[in-house]
This record gives sequence, C-alpha cells and structure tokens, in this order.
Amino acid sequence: MSNKKILIVDDDRDVRLGYHIRLKANHYDTFFAADALSSIAEARKHQPDLIILDLGLPGGDGFVVMDRLKSNVYLAIIPVIVVSARDRHANKDRALQAGAKAFLQKPVDNDELLAVIRQVLGEPETSTQQTVQPRE
Amino acid sequence: MNDRTIRILLVEDNPGDARLLGEMLNEPGSVRIELTHLGCMSEAVNHLKESAADVIVLDLGLPDAQGLGAVRQAHAAAPSVPLIVLTGLDDETMAAQALQEGAQDYLIKGQIESHALLRALHYAIERQRMSVETDEVRRLQLQLKDEFLSHVSHELRSPLTAIHQFGTILLDELAGTVSPEQHECLEIILRNVGQLQSMIGDLLEVTRAQAGKLTIDLQCSSVSDAIEYSVKTLQGTARAKGIILSLDLPPLLPLAYGDPTRIRQILIILLDNAIKFTNPDGEVTVRAQLLAEDPNFLLLEVSDSGCGITADMTEQIFERLYQVTGPGQSSRKGLGLGLYICKELVTRQGGRIWVTSSPQKGSIFSFTLPVFSLARLISPLLRDEKWPADSAALVTIEIRSQEGWFSKETRVDWSRDTRGLLERCLLPDLDVLLPKMSSGGPGELFFVVAFADEKGVAVLIKRIREQFQRLKQSEEPSLAFSTSYKLLELVPTDANAPIENLAENLAARIEDLIKSDTIARATQS
Repeated sequence: MSNKKILIVDDDRDVRLGYHIRLKANHYDTFFAADALSSIAEARKHQPDLIILDLGLPGGDGFVVMDRLKSNVYLAIIPVIVVSARDRHANKDRALQAGAKAFLQKPVDNDELLAVIRQVLGEPETSTQQTVQPRE
Repeated sequence: MNDRTIRILLVEDNPGDARLLGEMLNEPGSVRIELTHLGCMSEAVNHLKESAADVIVLDLGLPDAQGLGAVRQAHAAAPSVPLIVLTGLDDETMAAQALQEGAQDYLIKGQIESHALLRALHYAIERQRMSVETDEVRRLQLQLKDEFLSHVSHELRSPLTAIHQFGTILLDELAGTVSPEQHECLEIILRNVGQLQSMIGDLLEVTRAQAGKLTIDLQCSSVSDAIEYSVKTLQGTARAKGIILSLDLPPLLPLAYGDPTRIRQILIILLDNAIKFTNPDGEVTVRAQLLAEDPNFLLLEVSDSGCGITADMTEQIFERLYQVTGPGQSSRKGLGLGLYICKELVTRQGGRIWVTSSPQKGSIFSFTLPVFSLARLISPLLRDEKWPADSAALVTIEIRSQEGWFSKETRVDWSRDTRGLLERCLLPDLDVLLPKMSSGGPGELFFVVAFADEKGVAVLIKRIREQFQRLKQSEEPSLAFSTSYKLLELVPTDANAPIENLAENLAARIEDLIKSDTIARATQS
C-alpha cells in the first residue's frame, strides 16, 4: 500500500521541515506550500489525502485557502487540519465552521497531531509513532 | 446648528419653580438658551427619544418619578446627556446619592442664582464631554493592549513551535541516536519550552480576564476528579525535585457547581507554585472537604512545607504581576500572573480564595466552590405561584453520533451547540436546562425541568425536535437525537410550607430519575 500524502501549508521554513521529519517517520509523504496561492496549486498538483494548514499566511490567510479549496470540486473533498499559533478561543470555532476537521494550537503535541491525522484519514489507532513498522 | 446654543430640558412639575428658572436663563448673556420644559418623567423620556438635549435639569419630586428613581430613569433614557438635579434645602444627602447614580451636579432650590446656574450648566456639559472622552481613550488603550498582547503571543509561539518540533525530533531519535546525557539535556530544553508555552497562555488568559472574556462553563463537577488529574499531571515535576506530592480526599464528596477544566487549571497553578517554593524533601498536599462554616461550599486546599509568605503579603500576592521577592525563592520567577488568574477563576465561579502562611513553615492556599444543588437551581421557578400546571416534567434529550464521535473535541462542540439550541427553546420562567449531570456513555445527555402538563411538554418537545432537525440537516446528518420525558406531580403542600421544602422534594425525585436513567442508558450500550 502506498503512503498517504499530506500537504503542509506553513510560511515558516523551519516548521515545515519539522513536520516533514515527523511525518516521514510515520510513513506519510509530504508536500509543501508557504503561501495561500501556492497551496492551491500544490493541492491541485498532488491531490493530497490531507492538508495541514496554518492560518497566518502571506497572500491571504488560512480561511481564504479553505474558501478556495471548497469552491473546487476536486479539492473540496480534501480534509483540512488547522494548526495555528493564533488564539484558539478566537479562531477555533471559525476554523471549524470554515470546514476544518480540527483546530490544533501551536506548538502542537506530536501524539495529538498524529492521532488527529489518523482519525481524519480513517486509519487504525496505533501506539507510539516510532515503533510503527513500515506497512507491507 | 449654532454651538453657542445650549439645549436644556427642564423636568419640573412645579410651575412656579419652572418659571423662576426660565427667567434666570433668559437673562441676556453671551449664550443662547433653548429651553424645553416638561412636567413629568414619562413626557421627558418620550422627548429624549426624539430630540437631543445638551443638559437635563431634573426635579426629584415629579408626579411619576421621585428621588433616586427619577435620576436612574433619566440617566437610562439618555445616558450620555449630563444631568443636574434640583433638590430642596433639607435634601442634600439625596443629592449626594444622586451624584453616585450618575448626576453631574445638584442645585438647591431657593439658593439658585443666575450666574451660578449658568456656570453649573457649562461645567456639567464640559465634565460629561471629558468623561466620555476619557472612557473612549481608555477603551482604545485597552483594545490596543489586547491587540498587542495577542500579536506578541502569536509571534512568540511561532519560533517556539520550531524549537518544540526539533527538540522532540532529537528526543525521539528521528535524527540519530541520542546518548543518555544528551537525552537529559533535551528534556531540560523541552521542559523550558513548556514553561514558555504556559507563560504565553497566561498572558492571553489575563488579556481575556481583563476584557471580561474568560469563559466559564458551569456544570456539575467532580472536585475529586479534578484533584486526581492535577496531582497526576504534576507528580513528575514534584518527583524530579524530590518533593512528596500527595492527596487527601474523603470517600464521599458532593459535586461542585463549577467548570471542571477551570478547577483543574486553578489546582495546577497552585500545585506548580507550591512545588516551586518548596525545597527538596518537602511535602505538598491537596485536600478537599465541605467548608465547616457553610456546607453549601466545598473547601479545597493546597498546602506546602515551603518558605512561606509574610502576613503583609497575603493579599498582594493575588494581584496582577505581583512577585514574591527575597531569599530562598527559585531563581525562576515567572510572570506573576498565576495567582491573579486563580483569583479571577475562583471568583467567577462564585468562590473565594485566600492564603494562610507562616514563614519557614509553609503556606496553605485555600479556595471554595459552591456545592451543586438542584433544589436551589429550580426553586426560583417555584417561587412564582402562577404555574400553568400542577405538574413538572423532566425532559431528557440525548444526542449520539451514529458513526461514533469523531473526536472528544467534536463531542464537546456538539454538546455546546445543543445546549445553545435547547436554551433557545425554553421559556425563561417555566423551564430550566440543567447543567451537565453525567459524563461518559456513548451519547450526551441533557435534562430540562419544565413546569408544564402533558400538553405543554408536547409543545416543548416539538419545538426542540424542529430546531434540531434544522441543525442536523445543515451541519451533521450523522447525528442521532432522541427525547423522552417523565411527568412529576407537584405534591400540594400546605400553603405555609416554605418553597425550599417543595424544591428539595422535587429535586430529590428528579435526581433519582436522572440517576436511574443514566445507569439504564449506560448498561444498554
């Protein structure tokens, strides 16, 4: 079975790399976008199974990205997890209303992130991430 | 409009007094006066709805409004218009109270002369203008501060995210093997990241507290659960410092009426402080019991064998940004926001917080929370004798997700939405939505006590069903929803029996029903 594809949208290069290492270790393929515009282009190109979306982005924030995704038949079905440094109290409800499957506060706990990803992708629960053996 | 014209609304029922004032104001001068004279409060209120006034001169003995009541009514009708009250010679106490209710000035009848009157009018208008301006400036400053804090904390979180990510990547050996010494170093880094993270959280929390935006979700809460949770959370920190952290709970403790998340938050702040200010080999203990002086409250205590606090500081430490100074403290001070947040949270839940301490022996931080009482919650409904029926109904509403809950968070979100929906379906004087009474189980349960007969309940349930269908269709088709109800006869007690007895009796029956219902549902699944 091939790996699931995750598009990471975050304007911070270090943070993107951090996600990449963590997700690769858990057998996900990762793609990246650093701004609103390229996130739509990357989503079209790779048809990811999931998008991890930051809210503060150059060229339009995460809400704009979710709106654009929704207006495209092929992209509307891709589940989105919002991971943001913005205040949860002010942004969580708004993000969920905009169609996000979950809102996680930065810095996000790894176990929590992976659990939510698995849930959104409909994958079985597994214990700690590093002990996962490559799937046949 | 000419800004040299002052529009005065004179509300005075005595024609003689009114004429006298009118004449004084008509004396030639540099200021044009436009005087409207009305004889009672109702006319004045109507007038203010339609036309503007620069100042109101108000007699406190009107046919339809007297004394402070008149001041309040006038102030309510036009909060931004300055108010000068007219009182008799023997009424200066009343006049002083009127100032507290929002009047700008008072004039004593019989002692008014033309110049003083005009000066009073000018001062009143000017003072009002300045106070509006000051309020506006303060509001803007607060808003700027909020924006600044939220911006700063956002900017701080971003680099912190990267530090956390890469720290955990190293720790989890995703970038190669780590020696035990390196492992220890990384844990120290991440522990400090955690501290920074909670400081940023505190900053935002304080911003919210000051803007009156702290959310408190009052419900039936187990204090024991909260204590066990927080002790578990901080056990590691205590052990690392060589401190014995223990809890002392009585076997049976009534439920509190509070927010479980907030109770945990308070305990964690207090425990964290206690550990911070206690030397290795010391002890920190959490206790809970009924408050001896008033069994309507629970008393929670966090005691330590730390350095203690001198008597003159026991009040100050709950102030914002206060920090204990002096020898023996940990070099790490924090922001000095924790106890301030605790105080806000405890007060907002109807409790009290204080500290008793003796230097070098240790401190006991105590706070109270109201005990949950169903009788007290429903007794206001019983107070009004005009019930439409001689029965009450317990309506049970259950929501379940047919595909299983997506996550704990969605469950919480849906519960909150359902609560909002139910609140909108209720009649404020006849129905009450009970706080969350149980947790766990496959579905979320909500209980409404309605003072209604069979027909009334049917109407209520129909309304709830319709609302819910609409919500479900638009948002979450997989949500299942069911209602049921039980009628409870209101036992006619003799007229002299206090309402509390009736409330207690009804509450006991409702509690029994809820208990058996919850158990039945839990065993069903």
